[in-house]
Amino acid sequence: MKQSSLAAFLGSKAKRPAVAAAVQASAPQDALQQKAESVPAKPSPKKRVRKSPAPEPAKTFQAEAGPKLKRLRKAGDTVQPAAPEGIEDDMAAAGLSGSRSPTPEAAPQAIASISSTQDADHTEAILTQAEDQKPSSGAVLASAVGTDDGAATTPSASEASETDEDDVLEIGEAAPKPKTKRASKGSKKENAAPKHKKARLKQGTLEGGQLDAESDGDGEGGKKKNPAKRPVLDSKVVGVGTKSLAEAAHHNTFDLSTLGTWQAGKPVPFAFLADAFEAIAQESGRLVITRLLVNAFRTVIALTPQDLLPVVYLCTGQIAPSHEGIELGIGDAILIKALSQATGKSDAILKQQLKESGDLGIVATKARSTQRTMFKMSALTVPFVFKTFRDIASMEGHKSQERKRELISKLLTSSKDNETGYIMRALQGKLRIGLAEQTVLVALAHAVLLQREVGNAKKAVDAGLANRLEEASQSVKQAYSQCPSYDDLIGTLLEHGLENLKDRVHFRAGIPVKPMLAKPTTGVSEVLNKFEDIEFTCEYKYDGQRAQVHLMENGKVSIYSRNAENDTSKFPDVVSVLPQLLRPGVTSAVLDCEVVAFDRGTQQIRPFQVLTTRARKDVKLEDVKVHVLLFAFDCLFLNGDVLVEKTLTERRKALESAIEPRQGVLQVATSKTSRDLAELEVFLDDSVAAGTEGLIVKTLDSTYEPSKRSSHWLKLKKDYMEGAGDTFDVVVIGAWHGEGKRTGVFGAFLLAIYDDDAEEYQAISKIGTGFSEVLLKELADSLREHIIDSPRSYYKFGKPEPHVWFDAQKVWEVKAADISISPKHQAALGLVEAGKGISIRFPRLVRVRDDKTAEQTTSPEQLADMYRNQAAVNHGKQAADD
Amino acid sequence: MFEARLTQGRLLKQVLEAIKDLVTDANFDCAATGFSLQAMDSSHVSLVSLMLRSDGFDHFRCDRSLSMGMNLNNVAKMLKCAGNDDIITMKAEDSGDTVTFMFESQNQERISDFELKLMDIDSEQLGIPDTEYAATVRMPSGEFQRICKDLSSIGDTVIISVTKDGVKFSTNGDIGSANITCRQNTAVDKQEEQTVIDLNEPVQLTFALRYLNSFAKATPLSTSVILSMSKELPVVVEYRIAEIGHIKYYLAPKIEDEEMEENDG
Repeated sequence: MKQSSLAAFLGSKAKRPAVAAAVQASAPQDALQQKAESVPAKPSPKKRVRKSPAPEPAKTFQAEAGPKLKRLRKAGDTVQPAAPEGIEDDMAAAGLSGSRSPTPEAAPQAIASISSTQDADHTEAILTQAEDQKPSSGAVLASAVGTDDGAATTPSASEASETDEDDVLEIGEAAPKPKTKRASKGSKKENAAPKHKKARLKQGTLEGGQLDAESDGDGEGGKKKNPAKRPVLDSKVVGVGTKSLAEAAHHNTFDLSTLGTWQAGKPVPFAFLADAFEAIAQESGRLVITRLLVNAFRTVIALTPQDLLPVVYLCTGQIAPSHEGIELGIGDAILIKALSQATGKSDAILKQQLKESGDLGIVATKARSTQRTMFKMSALTVPFVFKTFRDIASMEGHKSQERKRELISKLLTSSKDNETGYIMRALQGKLRIGLAEQTVLVALAHAVLLQREVGNAKKAVDAGLANRLEEASQSVKQAYSQCPSYDDLIGTLLEHGLENLKDRVHFRAGIPVKPMLAKPTTGVSEVLNKFEDIEFTCEYKYDGQRAQVHLMENGKVSIYSRNAENDTSKFPDVVSVLPQLLRPGVTSAVLDCEVVAFDRGTQQIRPFQVLTTRARKDVKLEDVKVHVLLFAFDCLFLNGDVLVEKTLTERRKALESAIEPRQGVLQVATSKTSRDLAELEVFLDDSVAAGTEGLIVKTLDSTYEPSKRSSHWLKLKKDYMEGAGDTFDVVVIGAWHGEGKRTGVFGAFLLAIYDDDAEEYQAISKIGTGFSEVLLKELADSLREHIIDSPRSYYKFGKPEPHVWFDAQKVWEVKAADISISPKHQAALGLVEAGKGISIRFPRLVRVRDDKTAEQTTSPEQLADMYRNQAAVNHGKQAADD
Repeated sequence: MFEARLTQGRLLKQVLEAIKDLVTDANFDCAATGFSLQAMDSSHVSLVSLMLRSDGFDHFRCDRSLSMGMNLNNVAKMLKCAGNDDIITMKAEDSGDTVTFMFESQNQERISDFELKLMDIDSEQLGIPDTEYAATVRMPSGEFQRICKDLSSIGDTVIISVTKDGVKFSTNGDIGSANITCRQNTAVDKQEEQTVIDLNEPVQLTFALRYLNSFAKATPLSTSVILSMSKELPVVVEYRIAEIGHIKYYLAPKIEDEEMEENDG
């Protein structure tokens, strides 16, 4: 049992007492006590009593502090004074004061160590500075051993406005010290260590550079630019770039003692993760981000392996495998209410701030409480945050909104510094720190490999490490694509490591994989070119919805969408009939299918739009009006055997042996194997006549590649001949008010695509023609609810700006006449031509894609590919014309 | 073994109503001295401290100190089943995982047993120091309840300022502002209708009305309420329950307006 005290109110915000002078060089502890005592209205001495629960590297406390204490570091210090114990809670509990400048301080340049090259120096200085600029960083009670430190602390009332819960107060030397001796680095680290977890992660990286510098006289920056200098890099490993080798070399600098901020076996503090996020958010280089994450994961594996799972989930912004359908994505309205409850600020003010900054995370971080607390909340831990997230996400029924708000509010009240912003963003369902899931997988693989091989010991890395790291990444990515469940993956990795991962974590009935996708092509001739010496087959591309049907041994049937969402309750008719259509002896199977709407009267396939009129979930069998037909075209699993790595020929055989097709209910996709141009053209025409979109061309010896847009599958649409290679999936982010006849509705819309790497929406085109009046009204009605006051910070667009902005929600499929380089639109910026984006010309709306999320638009890479293809075709045409 | 019998069962029902909005789960501590509870709301902004002394019960036995974790809503659900005039007896074994509420109607015609599962609640023992307060106001509890209710229809926060003449409650909202002043009034005969101000120095503090409204749920327990305030410290809102104990609510003040503006600006 902890004993705290009401002293919360002690240090509160007495108006800016002169702290500076109080801090005496020789006796910092006394000084602090004095300071505490100098504060008015101090209750009984009881407040001093406190049992310190867990030994921490250094005592931290919340500073009272009207005047802003410049964060300063005393260079060359080796003393690490701990905050006096008694005071800690007094001030900490206050939770109310402390100073923080609302904007990152630019001022004190941290101590950068001297390395032998300019580059190295430069890089380090930047990194160190970044650390300094961490807006919420507390100050470390560095030391007051020097002489003039106290005096150097400049009160700066104007910046002291914001209250804060910073744990640590740093008092040091005022003068910026850009560079000092290396020796100072050590002390800085010590000083910064106590609570600067982010600083630690950073130091991991910094140190990397440093050690390199020591070993071969080349710093981090220099090394990247000039890899040839490094002898070790010359021993090239096949398939691994020099960068990877350089990266691998960094791993010998992993130092658990500086990174681990908590006791082994104790829950991982959420602050550790938030600091890692913060560090990652400030980086854009994939390699650096991976390294930061590897260090974080290794620390967790070393100290509290059982928390690795929640850590990884939180990194990916998920809380459960996607097929379980437990997602956060809490609406802004409820988050604002919770924030208001937690901080005591009014909804109106928060909404205003959200308008201004466009990011609830920032609003939450800034909105430090105007409400004091009785006692300080205990620090958040990763498992607690994760569990609360899951509770929030799975809460339903009576008063669930209210209970959610309570839980969120509690999280927000308990959070401090940078934790608040990340909790907010995680609740929204998107961290926006530029951390792609693939990076998480790579980091996970590396961390597991390194902890297994090297452990916590510092050991020189051998030349083969880069290669092994790469192999590890591949096998983890492979395992995850086949079995997208971190529960399975991480459990296995922790227990067995990477050995035989493939046999332990693999595809199985019940866990859907993301479907394999096809690449667009411009015509039959391109197909023939691409598959010149390869056997291929063509299948009708039905105009419906992807469905992965899992028939499990226990007789259970589940149907998953292309996003691995559970669609079972949408198709009770399919579920009821499927088991009867299995051939005798089939116990389990997974089929890849396309569901289309089907008119039983006319025996005709009906358009996609009809299918979308079906209710989304909890459909009752007797209510089914829109009948569906299932076209199976692949079999991924049969009677316990995983088939994804078998060839298409084998999988087709398996498919035929698994099901007994029934007209109008379950059929095998119509296909044809031929190499004849004319015959293929006819087959393509037939497919269109049959009401499909065209053909999918597949190589017969290819395996099933989950979640990949593979070049083994090509799609061939009839209308390709008319314009650009394919239709585009775009999201509507803005609109212009209509004029004349279109008054009252929107006249034109701004379209964007989603860039997964940058986590941003990039404008691709304006669309304004080809709408009927009725359609425009419908579109306006469906979009109005998504209107936002200003563009999100992650929208990238040029001029002119639209009149209204939308939350990126509605995905449209559009057709375009042409793809062109655009100086104005930001889509795929720089991918084809430096400084320029790609735009689509004369777009026309094909249909609204309710089955796609805003993050599933055409990707910048696809767009760039399509541009290149088009260019190649045009070139070919020109050549032919000539 | 813990056993406590209370003739006025109504009192226990009212106590539960007075705390269940503020706190979801809490530990009831049973000791030889009495039956008590101390808990904070989920945001740690307020604290409720309940004390029912052993001598206030008709029968009180507590062999060993116990801490019983309960979900207050569930306790309230059970107590709702007790009649207002029922005699309530609470019983628990030292190492048991349940607590029993027994309700006896006055004429002993109806006896009911309700057994509630206990839960493990992690709680901190919070030390609350005794403090000299700068200002203490005793006023009719109904008046206080009405003020809180009226003001919360105008604004979210209340500024309470105490001077030697009286205590002023003010609020500001979108639609306008409101001020209610209660003057020192010791002229009335009945003590419970008096407003008495004991002042060392004038105080002014800002609070979230939401919490005060929750506190006012304790109004049926006492005819008067005592507000104790000091600069920068939580207000104590105390309801004395005749002959048996008290409920004290502590509420942390808000940071004052000028600073809010600075923060927001």
